Amino acid sequence: MATEPPHAKRWHGHGLPYLDEKPLPGHLIVIEGTDGVGRSTQVELLRGWLELEGYAVSNTGWTRSPLLSATIADAKAGHQLTPITFSLLYAADFADRLEHEILPALQAGFVVIADRYMYTAFVRNAVMGADPDWTHEVFGMALIPDLVLYLEIDVDTLVPRVVRGKGMDYWESGMHLALSSDIFDSFQNYQRRVIAEYDRLAREFGFITIDARESINKIQTELRAHVSEYLRRAQSGPHPEGDAPSRPKT
Amino acid sequence: MRRGKRRNLLTPSTFSLLHAVDFADRFIYQILPPLRAGMIVLADRYVYTAFARDVARGVHPDWVRGVYRFAPRPDLTFFFRVPIEVSLERLLAGRAKLKYYEAGMDLGLSTDLVESFRLFQGRVLEIFDLRVIEASHDIAGQQKIVRRMTGEILREYDHQRAHNGHGNRASAR
Repeated sequence: MATEPPHAKRWHGHGLPYLDEKPLPGHLIVIEGTDGVGRSTQVELLRGWLELEGYAVSNTGWTRSPLLSATIADAKAGHQLTPITFSLLYAADFADRLEHEILPALQAGFVVIADRYMYTAFVRNAVMGADPDWTHEVFGMALIPDLVLYLEIDVDTLVPRVVRGKGMDYWESGMHLALSSDIFDSFQNYQRRVIAEYDRLAREFGFITIDARESINKIQTELRAHVSEYLRRAQSGPHPEGDAPSRPKT
Repeated sequence: MRRGKRRNLLTPSTFSLLHAVDFADRFIYQILPPLRAGMIVLADRYVYTAFARDVARGVHPDWVRGVYRFAPRPDLTFFFRVPIEVSLERLLAGRAKLKYYEAGMDLGLSTDLVESFRLFQGRVLEIFDLRVIEASHDIAGQQKIVRRMTGEILREYDHQRAHNGHGNRASAR
């Protein structure tokens, strides 16, 4: 892949064959990390900074599609979901945002900041016990991001943050996995598994790992340094106008 | 799903995934438990409907097959084949006009609903390991073939085990 410009776009699998192949001159930057790690705060700060730097910025977040956010909330309230239906609902929400928000913004040359991306599904499905190969197949329609910034934290630092913040919720504590009837024990146990899986994915997919135990400002400074470096390389590459994503040979 | 369909908001991928959610839910709660209990499940449509329909709408065939990989291959699958004119006639006799999604209008294949349906169904002819039954023949004749093939598959079936449960049939559609 050494001949490709740093921002050459690729699909994770078969992509969306029914769409016209259009150049995607924008940049897709993903912020990943577990619940309560501070992603949304960092995304907002990053967005404000990029806009001041003169970029058109669009952001998108997990389960925020107009099509599905209400459905997913209803389904969660009913506790009827199994790992398979859960995964497929997340995938539908993701596909909706990909086609209606992410790809159009990339075509228009925006910097898209995604608060969570397909890796969140990989982590959650793995922890729920869904077949990881199946998860990858389902997300074969996804576009591989240009940059993945992973906010890494340990459970001991995470617990007081979450308790002081919005508190422990049913799903973020993994109560659906029936690991323990005690929400505190369940939270620790579940988040430990989630973080271990994120760490594994970070190596597999080459995430840039940021130490999220640091202060908000320190984390933001680091994120900006990585984003600046990426944008500098992308804009000095051989095809700064962008290309259509390449498709796997079938 | 009704919400999305009403507003014509679905893309081929989201259409496919939402149908997969619906199928998975029925599979997990209605199909899997009776199978585990040793019962016979009759499914009116299965994953093949999605394969044909979603590929006709433009998603990658390997992708949609991957999405449905959690569903096991049935012991026996019948494909009731009708010439497109017959299927169109039956549908048109039943209702004033074809539904938007049924005719694949969202694919922009044709502005004329009927012509669009013809094109759409014409592409739905990708056949897997299915036993083809000519559905334009008389019903008694079709049923005879279906019963014979089903009987062959069930030769080894343990009736006793199923009767010990709460019935010996379950149907899913």
